[in-house]
Amino acid sequence: MSLPIRPARLIGPLVTLLLLAGAFLYVRAGRSTVAPTGTGPVRGGQLVSSIRAEPRTFNRAVSQDQITDLLNTLTQGRLVRVNRASFELEPWLAERWESSPNGRQHTLHLRKGVTWSDGSPFTSADVLFSLRVAANPKFVLASSLTVGGEPMRGAAPDAETVVVTFAAPSGIGIRLLDQLPILPKHKLEAAFVAGTFESAWNTQVVPADVVGTGPFVLREYRPGERVVLDRNPRYWRKDAAGQPLPYLDRLVLDIVPDQNAELLRLQSGAVDLTQDALRPEDFVTVRRSEDQGALTRFELGVATDADAFWFCLKPEAKKQDRRFAFVRLPAFRQALSHAVDREAFAQNVFLGEAVPVWGPITPGNRQWFTPNLPRYPPDARRALELLKELGLEDRDGNGVVEAADGTEARFTVLVQRGIAASERGAAFLREAAATIGVALDIVPLESGVVIQRMLACDYDAVYMRVLTTSLDPAGNLDMWLSSGSAHFWNLSQRTPATEWEQRIDTLMLEQAATLDQARRRDLFNDVQRILAENLPVLYFAAPRMYAAHTPRVRGVVPSVLRPPILWNADSLSVAGGAGAAKP
Amino acid sequence: MVRWLVGRVVSGAVLVVLASSTALVLTRLAPGDVTTQLGPFASRAEIERTRERFGLDRPVPVEWAVWVSRAVRLDFGTSFLYNRPVSGLLGRAAANTGLLATLSLGVATVLGVVLGLLTGSRPRGWLPALVRAASILLLSLPPLLTSLLLVFVASRTGWAPPGGMTSVGAADADWLAWAADVAWHLPVPAMALALPLAASFERLQAQALADGRDAPFLTAARARGVGPRVLLLRHAWPVSLRPLCAAYGMAVGALLSGSFVVEFVTAWPGLGRLMYEALRARDVYLVAGCAAAGAFFLALGTLLGDVLLAAVDPRAREGLDA
Amino acid sequence: MRPVGVGLVGLVLLAALGAPWLAPNPPDRRFPALLYAPPTPVHVLGDGPALPFIHPTRLESRLERRFSEDVSKPVPLRWFADGVVVTGDPVGGAPLLLLGTDGYGRDIFARLLFGARVTLALAVLAAFGAALVGAGVGALAGYAGGRIDAVLSRLSEFVFVLPGIYVALSLRAVLPLVLPPGTVFIVLVAVFIALGWPVVARGVRAIVLVERQQDYVVAARAAGATGVRILFTHVLPAARGHVVAQAALLLPAFVVAEATMSFVGLGFPDTVPTWGTMLQEATSVATLESSPWTLAPAGAIFFVCLGIQLVLPDLRRVPVELEG
Repeated sequence: MSLPIRPARLIGPLVTLLLLAGAFLYVRAGRSTVAPTGTGPVRGGQLVSSIRAEPRTFNRAVSQDQITDLLNTLTQGRLVRVNRASFELEPWLAERWESSPNGRQHTLHLRKGVTWSDGSPFTSADVLFSLRVAANPKFVLASSLTVGGEPMRGAAPDAETVVVTFAAPSGIGIRLLDQLPILPKHKLEAAFVAGTFESAWNTQVVPADVVGTGPFVLREYRPGERVVLDRNPRYWRKDAAGQPLPYLDRLVLDIVPDQNAELLRLQSGAVDLTQDALRPEDFVTVRRSEDQGALTRFELGVATDADAFWFCLKPEAKKQDRRFAFVRLPAFRQALSHAVDREAFAQNVFLGEAVPVWGPITPGNRQWFTPNLPRYPPDARRALELLKELGLEDRDGNGVVEAADGTEARFTVLVQRGIAASERGAAFLREAAATIGVALDIVPLESGVVIQRMLACDYDAVYMRVLTTSLDPAGNLDMWLSSGSAHFWNLSQRTPATEWEQRIDTLMLEQAATLDQARRRDLFNDVQRILAENLPVLYFAAPRMYAAHTPRVRGVVPSVLRPPILWNADSLSVAGGAGAAKP
Repeated sequence: MVRWLVGRVVSGAVLVVLASSTALVLTRLAPGDVTTQLGPFASRAEIERTRERFGLDRPVPVEWAVWVSRAVRLDFGTSFLYNRPVSGLLGRAAANTGLLATLSLGVATVLGVVLGLLTGSRPRGWLPALVRAASILLLSLPPLLTSLLLVFVASRTGWAPPGGMTSVGAADADWLAWAADVAWHLPVPAMALALPLAASFERLQAQALADGRDAPFLTAARARGVGPRVLLLRHAWPVSLRPLCAAYGMAVGALLSGSFVVEFVTAWPGLGRLMYEALRARDVYLVAGCAAAGAFFLALGTLLGDVLLAAVDPRAREGLDA
Repeated sequence: MRPVGVGLVGLVLLAALGAPWLAPNPPDRRFPALLYAPPTPVHVLGDGPALPFIHPTRLESRLERRFSEDVSKPVPLRWFADGVVVTGDPVGGAPLLLLGTDGYGRDIFARLLFGARVTLALAVLAAFGAALVGAGVGALAGYAGGRIDAVLSRLSEFVFVLPGIYVALSLRAVLPLVLPPGTVFIVLVAVFIALGWPVVARGVRAIVLVERQQDYVVAARAAGATGVRILFTHVLPAARGHVVAQAALLLPAFVVAEATMSFVGLGFPDTVPTWGTMLQEATSVATLESSPWTLAPAGAIFFVCLGIQLVLPDLRRVPVELEG
């Protein structure tokens, strides 16, 4: 057999093919040169992160929203810092400290040579001013920075020493000071005295007026577009090699309200990182970019808060409601808990990236998590038994159980609209509850409306993710205590509505005031057990969280807390430094 | 003519006040107010203080009266969401939307009218058929899908940025570089707006031309020996502009008041997006301000349409004077 | 082109009417192992030519949405079984998913068919109502003229500039928390009519204004015909084309508006599939890449619009937007 085509004829196509292959390889090679070279952090360059909302103020003392908190982390300092990755306490503006044996008095020695970004020296007067701001009940810090219900007091023996006194012994101790933003007295005192503190650092402020001791200073804010931050040349911190921090020349926060648009920018490299963990449904898209070398994905860990489902248990509000006769009984809620297969829940709602939980403290909160809680394995028969003991049976055969007087176990469940995982979760719960004859009507509402109804106790049940503010339970007393403003199933009670809430109150107050950490742990384990027995709130699963950034970002230490990456912004750098900055 | 114009302007102003007042009142009556933005468990004192600061503790009629008396002096109150005066926010957003609207309107007009002249004057041939098919396809695409597709193509090919109005580096560039940067960001949102609009202009123009082809005055001109090009451009075209003008007015209004879908998908900081954000947060004064701006531009658009109509069609002019 | 348009619209209507028989799976049935599953490939070539058959879909990685066909087990399609035209073996793990599944693991094709019923009924009814009200108001304004015309014109302008979302927002506030689908349907039709009529009225008024100057109308009046008679027998027929065209253009606008309304809480519960709510779940650039089949409702809207555009050849083609 001979070839019908003469070899000479093949030269043309072959050359073309070779050229194409060469071009392809060239392009690939060109890409790979962008890949990381060298290991040490390079000084210079800019990093772009996206944020989802506009800043409302640059003053953390008057607003506690996420963006203000982030800007505070970036531009201001604190006396001590809780490392967001290791949860260890680190010296910050205070170099060292001594605490009195009764745990009420703490003497902090301030770091020498620290200056504000405008060059004025940082002294104990600034700390005293900040404590005064925090003690003022008009501003948001007052509610979280108290010990035993009283604000902390400060005194300054000299310019470099501050003595902070707690009204009662505190189990959190000096960690509490991580929450105190240290503000410049010379810039804000006049406004504080004049009563214009609220608007002193609003978003129309001249950027140079927002002075701080943080790694970055405000350069520009363009509403609807971005916040630009520059390196604070007077920042006090140095890296291990003695190089002054931060490494970055500039940090840009691009405002992208839509999470889909945000993901798109991340993939195209227009932003280097985002503030939110990836949604489970975005995983597949990010995975593709990862394979192309456009993104680096990493695990943040198990979220420290889980989805919660609860009924309004306020007797005053529900007196007229005949369903309250059984809703208020733990057995009813236990039956519901038996109806939900938490493994399947994790599979369906979080696409498998979640761990089942039986209480509010998830495995993500390593210090306080306990696995030894009463569990309610999926068991429809047991659930129906429990319901029957309460007198709830499907008497008319319509698939919904009812009490002897005909009251059906039918509830509306408020859900935040627009969060896919949340709406999926609600749909899953509806199906699960239906298997034991409890009917749930899901009503997706805007978060504002859900919150309003929640505060007024104008709802049957709510399903949402409640973000806790502090990892230490003593920092969440507003949730644990029956009198607390965030005791969500029955807000702000005058006297504990139930015997077990009373017990939790006692245990938690003791827990908060105990200095011995092992004892605190025991006490809190008891609290968790009481909660899991009485089930005012049902918890199902805590998502395992992932985030992604562009490969040029260096020095990332992921944290399961917010902000997941920018919490150590001063140690972040970009590959190639100034040269690699994107146009 | 002047009286008619004055009358229209006055009624337009009344319309703007009415629309924004309605928006204000309806938003106030809707469940959930701006204090829910403080978070689920904000302290009672903080909520009360915020209500007081934004005048939400007053009854609705009082709040409305105060707002209107300030609004006529162009003081639209303060936005909670942005913590700054509404008028400044509106100005900036309107300018951004205006830029986008001008470009898309320009592109749509040139594309639509020229292609419409082509398809309308020469109904046969593959090129007009192609244009017609493209127009019908574009008109059938939901705006959401058009913008999604454009953004997708832009981000995957890198031909255009994936959204926004300026790049990050534009912060301290000189104005020339800034303008170049904005120009680089413009095409995607502008195309998303211009393409369907160009399609509808093309169809309108083509149909109007075809409708008037057998008008007596054209036959007469043809008989006089006027060449086909002159006949088309000097005789047939001006008369065919009438339906286009009416559509033009609506398009101008709709474009200037901002398209929420396009601005949201392409992250353009314009009026449409501002309005959406405001509504979501129940930021009453910003909502009312946005409604005022939207109503203003829509009224302006219809007025413009009528004026254009009067300019091209003497019959309509007579109708106005009557 | 017109037959194509008629064919398209007819096809969609047929699909909507025949939904219970055409959908291989019930629209609210969840396949928990098949979240975001791609469309099931239908094979006709096995070891040789064969009757159409499918393979069971196997989940490889839930998070990465990787699925594979279990080629060892061909499952023949079952025709005219279970009360539907064609289906796979849903119980045996081999459901026939012509357009894949959504984030809940529900059959998108089935939801599309059932959704077409609600969506199209809603849009058609609302467009019809808006056309009726709009034609009436426009004719009255154009024919009566003077003060009545001024008031009605201003009213239509007012409705025109008032974004529908405000109306929906405040309406939601006064309605009970849990709305049965029937109530939602009626409320939405009413809202759409209230928002849509000015679009029709403007044009009708302009046409009536021109027509009543026409010689034949003047002649009729001289012959002693009453105003109402003239309006209905002479003037309004001239506006018929316009009314039909505008109503047809309102249709797609209402389909999209249904999604917007559900965004402020005035929507159907998630147990009732509609194109608008389906579209809302799929609105992101990422889905274009990772699960393009979830954008099927957008495609359906496109075909309906295309059909309408083709059926009505001389439309005044200005797309109507009721988004804001």
